[in-house]
Amino acid sequence: MRYNGAMDLTMERALPGSSAVPDGRRVVKRHSLTTRLAHWIVALAMVVLIMSGFQIFNAAPYLDASDLSNAQHRILSFGTAGTDQAPVGTTTLVGHQFTTTNWLGYTDDGQGGKAARAFPGWITFPGVQDLASGRLWHFFFGWVLTLAGIVYLIVGAVRKDLRLLILRPADLRGLLPMQLYYLRLRKEPPLHGKYNPLQKAGYTVVIFGLIPLVVITGLALSPGIDAIAHPLTTVLGGRQFARTWHFVIMLLLIAFIFGHVFLVAATGFINNMRSMVLGTYRLGKHEGTGP
Amino acid sequence: MKRRLFVASSLSAALAGCAPVTNALNDNPTIHGTLTAGSRLNHFAIGTRGMARIYPDSAIMRDNYPVNSLPTPATAVYAALQRDGFRNYRLPVGGLVDRPQTFTLPALHAMALIDQTTRHDCVEGWSVVGRWKGVLLASLLAHVKPRTKARYVVFHSFDSDQQGTPFYGSIDLHQAAHPQTQLALYFNGRPVPADYGGPVRLRIPTQLGYKSTKWVRSIELVDSFKHIGGGNGGYWEDNGYEWYAGI
Repeated sequence: MRYNGAMDLTMERALPGSSAVPDGRRVVKRHSLTTRLAHWIVALAMVVLIMSGFQIFNAAPYLDASDLSNAQHRILSFGTAGTDQAPVGTTTLVGHQFTTTNWLGYTDDGQGGKAARAFPGWITFPGVQDLASGRLWHFFFGWVLTLAGIVYLIVGAVRKDLRLLILRPADLRGLLPMQLYYLRLRKEPPLHGKYNPLQKAGYTVVIFGLIPLVVITGLALSPGIDAIAHPLTTVLGGRQFARTWHFVIMLLLIAFIFGHVFLVAATGFINNMRSMVLGTYRLGKHEGTGP
Repeated sequence: MKRRLFVASSLSAALAGCAPVTNALNDNPTIHGTLTAGSRLNHFAIGTRGMARIYPDSAIMRDNYPVNSLPTPATAVYAALQRDGFRNYRLPVGGLVDRPQTFTLPALHAMALIDQTTRHDCVEGWSVVGRWKGVLLASLLAHVKPRTKARYVVFHSFDSDQQGTPFYGSIDLHQAAHPQTQLALYFNGRPVPADYGGPVRLRIPTQLGYKSTKWVRSIELVDSFKHIGGGNGGYWEDNGYEWYAGI
């Protein structure tokens, strides 16, 4: 282990706005306390929101591409077929039916048995089928996500941290070389600042795109919100369509989380975790601290 | 290979451990109580502002309008009323009011009715459109003159669950005064069928369906619903659902 002692830290603080010129392999302060707290609060909220979302979804295990519930416009549904003795879980995606027994449709009931339910108990919150509780968890952590996100954005804007993270036209050139480096088709990453071009692209899309969208599409499901703001539900194609978008964006967020966690592990797990827990980080050979 | 097996088996053990953990967290009364803060924030942020969207009659779903999983009341009282075509139906409206009154069906039909094609959003996630015509709740309440102490309108139902627990629901006076909150008498052009809550049911298009009490037997104005049923303001609320269902 290379970074076990925190004591070789010289704690040089990078000058704000310093260039993308490599700063060598010194240790810098990378994430503010606000960023670190917001990151872990949002991470927890996302996990609970996704799991309680599966719980809520199970109550009506289908998605329609229409304003109102309509089997003609069903793009995804889960069900149980077969006999009572030999139940079969099914997943139907745009008319194509797959057998998904034990995984989807007929699966873990969250109390050690099996039952007719879309998503298994190990991925729902709570594990047992309990729509009322799932909604309470979902809305509580929806507020946690929203409030933590707002604090993060305000503090990030005031401290100018966000500037370093937002993808700019100049970063586009670096996207391909960075991808090739990750794929081991290029020996060295392009020189970059605090975040590399792919990180900027990922974080910009998630922080300014997917997370706001997942909140908005969720709000569009509310009859009370729909009464206040018809256009919101209308642009999404109606309430059931909003439910479909909410689900699709959730899948994109799951894809991001997998990619994010994989890269954290693959690009120096200890150093990366240290930066998001203690705030300090040892720069790579091609990393700077600026934009 | 051994290592892969180890990884796979520890992963599945971790997954199998999820449900007991999430169930235990959910069963903790302190945690569960804390979660209701989200529901109170929802009520504060959304409330009863705005008007539910009005649909064209072409959007009405006549053939596939789902019936609630709760069956039509099988009680002797309701069955007797149903046999006589609800001729003997009476709707008492009382509690914290200056002029408690009992309304017959013809008296309700004689009031000014509102007629709206609106969407019904179920807590489960589905939505349907139907046309509802009935007495504006606000004008019914004007007849009985609620006292200033009154804060909630409680709807007692003929329905009860299999254990015999009576069904009821409640809304606040803001929701009761909303121009789309009605005591429905007609559904898609006919008297509300028994399966859909007839002869008189509540219809609130700005909240989820479970707030729209079916088979209304009596209406009571109260300053608190703590003493009614399980004390949470409704049958579904006593079963863990939020009292405010605008989301």
